[in-house]
Amino acid sequence: MPSFENTWLPFIYLYGVGGIFFVSGLIIIKKSKAVNFEKKRHRYWWKITYFGFFYYMAIHALLILAALYL
Amino acid sequence: MNAHHSLGTSTDWIVMVVYFIAIMLFGSYFSKYNRTTTDFFFGGRRFKWWLIAMSIVATGVGSHSFIKYSAKGFEAGFSSTMTYMNDWFFVPFFIFGWLPIIIYTKIRSIPEYFEKRFSPSTRFLATLLLLLYMIGYVGIGFLTMGKAILPLLPPEFTILGMHFNITLMGLVIVIALIVGIYITYGGQTAVIFTDLLQGFILIFAGMLVFFLGLDYIGGFGLFWNALPTSWKLPLANFNNPPGFNFVGIFWQDGIAGSVGFLFMNMGLIMRFMATKSVDEGRKAATFNILFMLPISAIVVGNAGWIGKAISVMHPDVIPPDTNPDNIFVVVANIISLPGVFGFVMAALTAALMSTVDTLLNATAAIYINDVHRPAKKWLSKKIRSLKEEDKQELNAARIATVIFTVMGVLAVIPFESFPTVYEAHGYFHSTLTPPLVVGIFLGVFWKKFTNAAVIATFVVGVALMILGMYYPRPLIEVFAHGTDYDPQHPYTYIGALYNLFVCVLVGVLTTVTRKQQKKLIDWIKTTPNHKSLMSGLTFVSGGLFVIILFNLASLPVLLLLSAIMLVLVVLSSNYYSKYSEKTHTEGLTVWGIAKAKEMFKGRKVNDRDGEIIKVNWKIKESDTDLMYFSKNDMAKMAADPGDLVYLCDARRYLGGLKSVHSTYGEPHDEDGIVYITQEHIDQGQFVKDKVLTAEKEM
Repeated sequence: MPSFENTWLPFIYLYGVGGIFFVSGLIIIKKSKAVNFEKKRHRYWWKITYFGFFYYMAIHALLILAALYL
Repeated sequence: MNAHHSLGTSTDWIVMVVYFIAIMLFGSYFSKYNRTTTDFFFGGRRFKWWLIAMSIVATGVGSHSFIKYSAKGFEAGFSSTMTYMNDWFFVPFFIFGWLPIIIYTKIRSIPEYFEKRFSPSTRFLATLLLLLYMIGYVGIGFLTMGKAILPLLPPEFTILGMHFNITLMGLVIVIALIVGIYITYGGQTAVIFTDLLQGFILIFAGMLVFFLGLDYIGGFGLFWNALPTSWKLPLANFNNPPGFNFVGIFWQDGIAGSVGFLFMNMGLIMRFMATKSVDEGRKAATFNILFMLPISAIVVGNAGWIGKAISVMHPDVIPPDTNPDNIFVVVANIISLPGVFGFVMAALTAALMSTVDTLLNATAAIYINDVHRPAKKWLSKKIRSLKEEDKQELNAARIATVIFTVMGVLAVIPFESFPTVYEAHGYFHSTLTPPLVVGIFLGVFWKKFTNAAVIATFVVGVALMILGMYYPRPLIEVFAHGTDYDPQHPYTYIGALYNLFVCVLVGVLTTVTRKQQKKLIDWIKTTPNHKSLMSGLTFVSGGLFVIILFNLASLPVLLLLSAIMLVLVVLSSNYYSKYSEKTHTEGLTVWGIAKAKEMFKGRKVNDRDGEIIKVNWKIKESDTDLMYFSKNDMAKMAADPGDLVYLCDARRYLGGLKSVHSTYGEPHDEDGIVYITQEHIDQGQFVKDKVLTAEKEM
């Protein structure tokens, strides 16, 4: 069985440190009013940004589980 | 290490030559759409998202290449996909921040943005750094192409009694000649359409290799079971080995690389400038990152995984010590029939050609916008007509492309010393991107980031990066997260974190002390000899940079000199450049997107939602750039006279190729008819009796 440094540590670091950049982006975009929630298209793109983050997180988690247990 | 030569058969070579000729003919057909330099470089801001998304695939896949990811797939397994699946963190910054800014400010190059946001001297520094980056990228492309084609050729050949040894550099020169000829006569529209076709072919060819490989091995079950568990993990070991580890690649590619690719890769940015609107750009970017990048990761890396499985099951077929940079070609040759191998190799080399031609096109755009035009403005006062000017610039762009092709070939020399293309590319990214990445990023998202701060980032940040190269221990070691020190190529990837840190540190320190700087400059200006004093200080800062560049003192002294240089550079920047936060940030940062949109239109924006309508066109004699719709059609589009309109051939498969932007004129009473000028017809290449669609832009 590969060690923690081979499996979940990179995953935690990727979505922890990467997540800080991602959330900072969302905060700056919201505060600067670059996103206008009154517009339907902007609301759509806002949701897509969240979706993308969890989509990639799920892909990586599933691939690690598959490597370890399949 | 096991090297290969003379792979493939004559059938493969015939397929490759036919493929290349077909692609070049396909591209040259679209060169007729280059009517101006705007078309040549930017494709005229008219394309639909799917066309741009697919053409980005060829550029992305080409630049990251089958060769280097197959090599890492062979050495390390599925973690070769890491770099394709770590780009999402900066998507909010891109789609809501940078993308609207580049489209609404109508900038033609990244350095032009630096001039608008900061000053002409910042533009000059940015041009220097960006040209270095682009030429380096072209060099990586040539090196990869050379490594891809070399295994197909014999080690030597004789023609007309003359004996030739085939070397990597010789091959790179021949490849550069072919690429240079193609791009010089193509232009951006040709590049977009060639890349669109190649995007489809690449995905097909890569998947073909995967399925043929699985078939060769005996099915997915055998393939999966043959690979060790560590090979199946999607992320590499946290901090070792130095040649391929997670944390280094996260900072080098996931942070510096992602921002570099989305924010300063002119090739990619020009694609987004070619989309018809910001919304289409968002669709292209998100579709590409969400769906095409994971597919691309499989497409480019699977030959390495297949190679690894074959080497475990049949070490006599693929020895475990096979040169990783050859593995793609070796695997494709083993699993394919003659002809199929030729097709796969043609798709691979054509993809690399796409990347290189996109980069060369972008480099020429930077040259025209940031070197040629400013230099001409300075040297000559002769006034030419717009058409004469454009023709001359188009010729200059073509000559510049040839020169940058030669420089790209020369850039191959230093990259050749790295064990694989992957390491060469990683080192290149971690070294050349941080100053520009920090400059653009803080410039776009931090309104208080000043001109002096960005100049200090470019000069003192680079000086500290140079110190990092001379003294990786102790400077980079502190940031290494426990990665082992490799004396041959120290901290290839994690060096990016140190480089980013020093650039951000310099930029932030300079920005937060801006009030004190102003006081000091105001005081200096009251002294009688302030002009000579400042000239002297600027000269001294140049001297300090030279001392650091050539490592002429011990580390503590060099660090002290860097600190002194920071003060001097900041003082000089404040003294010589006029910078005002109000005028230099309006519409140029994420805090002023609405203003940027208004500036783009030239009047108040009309945000009412309207329909897309179908119309037939009629010609109207006029010199003004206006289109005339009926009152009812204008109401359907929710448009008013003076709003911006996009008129496009209704055939969807053209993806916006035949389209034009204009402004609404006063309405008439003929529903379903738009009156346009001959210039609109020429620009949009509209065909008689073909229906058009019209929509309000803003």
